[in-house]
Order: sequence, then C-alpha cells, then structure tokens
Amino acid sequence: MNHTSDATTSDGGGTFDARQAAALLDQTTQQARRQFAPSPPWLLATRAVAVLAVCGTVWLTVRGQHPYHGPTAVVIPVLVAFIILNFFVTVAVRERAMTGVRGVSRLRPAEITVLVAAFAATVVFMATAGVSFGHYPTTVLILPGLAYAAVMARTGWRRCGVGLAVAAVGVAGAFAGPAGSWAVTGVGLCAVLGVRAAAIALGQRRDADRP
Amino acid sequence: MTTDELDPLIHVPTRLKIVATLAALPDGDTLSFTRLQDLIGLTPGNLIIHLRKLEDADYINSEKARNGTVSITTVALTGHGRAALDAYTQALRDLLGGL
Repeated sequence: MNHTSDATTSDGGGTFDARQAAALLDQTTQQARRQFAPSPPWLLATRAVAVLAVCGTVWLTVRGQHPYHGPTAVVIPVLVAFIILNFFVTVAVRERAMTGVRGVSRLRPAEITVLVAAFAATVVFMATAGVSFGHYPTTVLILPGLAYAAVMARTGWRRCGVGLAVAAVGVAGAFAGPAGSWAVTGVGLCAVLGVRAAAIALGQRRDADRP
Repeated sequence: MTTDELDPLIHVPTRLKIVATLAALPDGDTLSFTRLQDLIGLTPGNLIIHLRKLEDADYINSEKARNGTVSITTVALTGHGRAALDAYTQALRDLLGGL
C-alpha cells in the first residue's frame, strides 16, 4: 500500500494541510504587502483625481484671461489647501506603513535634505529670476522630480521612473504657455499617478491570482 | 510528494505567517518586534519562541539596538530564510499541482 499523508501536525496543535498552508501563505503575503505599501493604489488614484480636479479648475478660470494674470483669489486658497492636505495625508499614510520598518525602504535624512533642497532651490531661483509660480506652475516639478528620481534610483526603476515622469510633465508644461501649463500639470500628473496606481494594483492582483 | 517533505520549520501556521510577513519587505529592510507582533497577533512570549526557532536555523536575523533608554529589537529574513521560503512555496505548488 502506498501510504501518502497530505496533512501534518502543526506546533500550534491540530493539522495543517498543503491547501491551508497555500491559502495562509497567500493571505499573509498580500496582507503584509498592503500594510507595508507607502503609496497604496487608492491613495495614488485619489491624488490623481484630486490633482486633475484642482489644476483643471485653475485652468478653467485662467484660460479666458487676456492678458494672463494668474489664478484668481478664490482659486488660490483651494490650491494651497490641496497642496497642504496632500502633503499631510502622504506623510501620515507613509508613516503608518513604515512604522517599525528600517532599511532601504526608508528615506535617509540626507535624501530628505536633497528633496527639500531641490524644492527650496527652485523657489529661490524663481524668486531671484522674477518668475511667478502663477505664470509657470510646472517649473516647480522639474528639479524636485529629478531629485526624487535620483534619490529613488536605489530602490528600483519604478519609483525613479515616477520622478522622471513628473520632471517631464514640468518640462512639457513650460512649452504650453501660462494658462496651458495648468492643463498640462493636471493631465500629466493625473496620468503619472494613475499609471503608477494601476501598475501597483495589477501587481497585487497578479500575486493574488498566482497558483 | 507529501507534506512530510515540506520544511517542518516553516510548515507551522505561526512561523509561516512570520516568514511570509518578513518576506514582504524588500531585501535589506528590518522590522521591529512590536510591529511584527501587531501584524501576526501573538503574545510577546509566544512570538519569541517561534523567532528563536527560526533564528537557530539561520532563517531570520535579530538585532537589539539602544535608542536612548529604550531598547528596540528588529528582525529580518536572511538570504537563507528567503531561499527556504522560495523552496517551500515551490514545494507547495508541486504538491497542490499533483493533487
């Protein structure tokens, strides 16, 4: 008689067969990946829709201006509120995901300094050159986007690609004129964030479907 | 192939959860004992027992660091542990494919 056992006694008591083990492995892996994700797909997708809505609103209010004089006083608080809210939600979600995690996934102090310095350098450059953010909104994406790409290069090509895509949106916007650059910012960033969200969601689904 | 041939160190629900959770982190990342405990849902004593077994087999690596007056224990999957989980996953696939 060919005796085959497909169940084994676990340390915790009872039996633990291969099907249960496969299900537990799959469930634990997916759960852990979701817990450790610093930018979950839902956050990226929400941010994509929000940036399209906010920049689209600005574009609608400025596209008829001749001559162009920038976003109206009503729209500016909405824009500032979006930037602040986006910053705090991103930091909160990232901190929650990275609690207790140390190593390559965490931004190092030097890297945070590089990102802040890139943004500050852009603001200082624009101020000294007399360039208004309202006239060239996408210029603030170029240097910080490149800095993000450089910093994230060590974690893989995906995040590096996001930084490069953001910088590319910034460059494209510079050629679209003051009013058009708002549309380019909204559509461009929405596309970058949407593609990133879809890529992460597809990766998670592929893992879930794997036998 | 039978479940008897699966790695007995991993083929235990709690240790499988520990190893799978640590494997979800990129190579080079460590996880604090308290976060792992939260994710697995075990008492500290119980978790220590399982971690010790995995550490004895060189599947995980634990380090104790001092942060002021607080001592923080971090754990990470070793290369050997990651390879063992890969082999275990492959063995499960072979086993289930043959059923």
